[in-house]
Amino acid sequence: MTPNRLATIAVWMAMLLLLLVVIFPFYWMVNTSLKPMSEVFKSPPAFYPSQLSWAGYVNIWATRLMGRFFLNSTIISVGSTLLAMALSALAAYGFSRFRLRWEQPLILILLLTQMLPGTLLIIPYFQLMAKLRLINSYLSLILAYVSFALPFSTWMLVGFFRSIPLELDEAAMVDGCTRVGAFWRVILPLSVPGLVAVAIFTFLLAWNAYVFALVLTTDPKMFPLSVGIANMLGEYQVAWNEMMAAAVLATLPVFILYGFLERYLVQGITAGAIKG
Amino acid sequence: MQIAQAGGWPGETIRPTQRRQGWTGQGLKRERRLGYVFVAPMLLFLFGIIFFPLAHAFWTSLYREAGVNIRFVGPGNYARLLDDPTFWNSLRVSVVFTAVCVALHLIVGMPAALFLDQLRRGRTALRLLFLTPWMVTPVIGATAWVWLLEPHFGVVNYLFRSLGLIAAYKIWLGEPGLALGSIITVDVWRGFPFVMLILLAGLQTVPREEYEAASIDGAGALQRFLYITLPHLRYLLVVATTLDVINTVRTFDIVAVMTRGGPINATEVLPVLIFNTAFQANRFGPAAAVGVVLLLLLLVFSTLYILLLQPERTWARVR
Amino acid sequence: MKDRKTIPLDTARLRLSRRAVLRGMVGTAATGLALIGAPVRIARAAPITLQYQTANLTEAQYAPVWKEMFAKFEAQNPNIKIEPILVARKDHWTKFVTAAKANQAPDVVAVDIATAAYNGYLRPLDDLWQAEPASYRQVWSQDVIRAAMWKGKLYGLPSWGGIYGEIYNKEIVRRAGLDTNKPPATWKDYLEWAKKLTKEGQQWALAILAGKTDTTTRMLLMWIWSNGGEAFDPDITQATFASNPKALEAIEFYLNLDLTHRVGAPGAVNINYLEQTTLFAQEKIATMRNAYWGVAKVVGDNPAIKDKIAVAFSPMNTDKKVTLATMAADSISKDCRHVEAAWKFIKFVNEREWAIKRITVSNWMPMRNDIAGDPEASKDPLLAQFLEYGRYARAYPLPNPLWADIAANDIVATVQSVLLKRASVKDAFAKLDADLNRKFKEL
Repeated sequence: MTPNRLATIAVWMAMLLLLLVVIFPFYWMVNTSLKPMSEVFKSPPAFYPSQLSWAGYVNIWATRLMGRFFLNSTIISVGSTLLAMALSALAAYGFSRFRLRWEQPLILILLLTQMLPGTLLIIPYFQLMAKLRLINSYLSLILAYVSFALPFSTWMLVGFFRSIPLELDEAAMVDGCTRVGAFWRVILPLSVPGLVAVAIFTFLLAWNAYVFALVLTTDPKMFPLSVGIANMLGEYQVAWNEMMAAAVLATLPVFILYGFLERYLVQGITAGAIKG
Repeated sequence: MQIAQAGGWPGETIRPTQRRQGWTGQGLKRERRLGYVFVAPMLLFLFGIIFFPLAHAFWTSLYREAGVNIRFVGPGNYARLLDDPTFWNSLRVSVVFTAVCVALHLIVGMPAALFLDQLRRGRTALRLLFLTPWMVTPVIGATAWVWLLEPHFGVVNYLFRSLGLIAAYKIWLGEPGLALGSIITVDVWRGFPFVMLILLAGLQTVPREEYEAASIDGAGALQRFLYITLPHLRYLLVVATTLDVINTVRTFDIVAVMTRGGPINATEVLPVLIFNTAFQANRFGPAAAVGVVLLLLLLVFSTLYILLLQPERTWARVR
Repeated sequence: MKDRKTIPLDTARLRLSRRAVLRGMVGTAATGLALIGAPVRIARAAPITLQYQTANLTEAQYAPVWKEMFAKFEAQNPNIKIEPILVARKDHWTKFVTAAKANQAPDVVAVDIATAAYNGYLRPLDDLWQAEPASYRQVWSQDVIRAAMWKGKLYGLPSWGGIYGEIYNKEIVRRAGLDTNKPPATWKDYLEWAKKLTKEGQQWALAILAGKTDTTTRMLLMWIWSNGGEAFDPDITQATFASNPKALEAIEFYLNLDLTHRVGAPGAVNINYLEQTTLFAQEKIATMRNAYWGVAKVVGDNPAIKDKIAVAFSPMNTDKKVTLATMAADSISKDCRHVEAAWKFIKFVNEREWAIKRITVSNWMPMRNDIAGDPEASKDPLLAQFLEYGRYARAYPLPNPLWADIAANDIVATVQSVLLKRASVKDAFAKLDADLNRKFKEL
């Protein structure tokens, strides 16, 4: 076998091993979720349930507001995504099309926001939301998540916009469009991949967030999925099959969303990172 | 005359801006203002949502509470930090954790990106599969790993023992070194896909002709990588690494779920220290102080990075 | 990217003024935000809503009881609605404190009294308490009431607790050739039993708790007390782990069970209640020191173990029998705006009927002293045993505002450092004493 062949096989083996490590936890999640409670603690652990049991899935729907958690997570994530897209698109257009004197400080401010540790802000943010009477509302979480997502989104979109030639703006304005019109009618449609990338990124950030939702919601009907599932970790009782069933269900929508939109994410990052 | 312009955006290259010379002075000023109008909504938003709480947090860090008595200590909390072994331990853990994680993100992500780049078929499917850990909620992923690493009933111990990798069951989250290794593993598992994605995006902009020319000249795979790929990816690597460092330093969910900072504070990264100080010890002033210090450290780090880009700008102006 | 230059732009349509477009966008955004921003409020047919937060509303053992309890209270008091705040135990304090700091704490809570009162989160109950007739107040003993006081004021109505004993797996004991009718009463016997009950790699005598929760401290204190030692001075202003010779002796014995005799399940640093009860339910350990709720938990995990359970008083190394009893009390937060309704609710929750339900369904010990003889309550012989041990119980947590932090952090770190062989018992606990004394001084 030629050394080239050997190298290729070695590389493939390494990648397959990596893939195995990446996938294994998910496999184990699904495996555990399908076991009856009595099998969960079998020693040695079973790699497939000897008796398929849907008890995990059934119980979490029966005893918890899983449907409501899903709805809350969806509303919060979609709301965050829309608002983040709007704000970052506008800001990115401003940064990419205009020579702003204060560009450097503004960039620093954006970066600063990216660097904030969440745990530092929980209490003051809660106090702010309490004053605005927004505890237990979708809006409080949406506002928080949008602020976390803005720096990276803006950066990605600036890169994307910069790759769209200025001539297009000018052509539109020559034809009688205002700046805003050029933005709305010409630039935005061209930057759909970038916008989709921002959307995916923000959606994921909102869907996966935990600590802020934990303190900002008190009514179980308002819990997003992350909080609803974390609540299942009792001090004495952890029904692992139920817990893993909930985990599987919580991850499934994200997988599906990703399956459809993943190439936009790549395109968006490409533009933002390379051509910025 | 062409004037080259470089901006402060990450990875920004030099572009000709011939067109802008054509605008009149008056129009330019009006244009500038309009630019701020576009940027304003985002800034106002950030100001309201982030800066008020941040200012409040900073204000809190100047006080120390003893029950219901809250007294102003000014820089007292910060001075205390310098003497506090818990803080220095946490800083050390954070530095080690971040450095190792970011390095591993690259060490795992780069080969994966290279591999995916040269795949002809199945690239999308494999890319999706590799991305899966990044999609999972950290809290959920960490909980799944806790179950995997369970000493008596978890599958990792069983697998490793069966494969002969370990002699006896290890308590993955129960020994300082192993616990740190475990959270690093989970973070790398979760974090490398994003770095891989950025690198993959970058790899696809490297002109193929350069590779072809190099192989004709007899360059091996390693040489092609070192002399063609890496230089093209330089800016990207800096950008990706900086973002990665900023995000990894702030990791909280994974550590909180798996170890809560233990055993013996071996995994107490700075965000966990902030949390424990505030909510377990009920010392909000000192906790806010740690938070501000963390912020300042990141600020210093990012400023250094922007300075790294500065030479490009001055060089452009001189020309 | 397609070349869009050639798309004709209709000049007439594009004469939208900047303002109009912006107005439109802002309008849509505002409407959208308003719609999703409206906080969800529970249907308020009633004028008063009481928020109630305790860590155990999410425990499966308690759910049937509180659901019935709240429904009945609301039926009896149609103008009051109870809003339970569900939170996992590990997040309970975080959520409470964040809300308290914004003056939005739930009306009724069950939290660590000393810490919460010291930080000003609770409302003293003396006025409400004294307004009750003496016959009502006598149901709670002086000791129990004292445990819910801070600096001379009452901050909670003691609700339930756990009394600790030693729980054995009779089958494992029998297999080791030991007599299930004669559980060890002294440390010497206990050590002999432990050695016989341990088969390296397969099963162990007990699980030593050294995880990062305060249950580690509970176990440690029990061992110290069972040797006649003291970990603190009576006012809890001085730590005496190392300076009290009997305390040090007890700690050495307890931790040597793992270090020297290796009769404890491996990975003590990782073991909290969850791991300990799981190990017992899966019959990997022969004994566990726990309260009656532990029995319910292991039986829930492994129903076959129900007939194998025996309970005994924990082994002593001194004449006086002593065990530990935790106490949870219902308090009213400082932010509560409906104090009368809250007090009514607290009294209702602690009525005899519910105390008994908590015993029989959730396996929690009552704080009322008019239950012991109740036939319903003493139906289960195991339960009767635990109630009997309650006579020798010392209250936990200890009344110090730093207790929540000390018990889950400092003391745990010290135990962990010894078990991980980072320090000797004497050095580690001498350092703990010094650290704690310093913290107490700053109070």
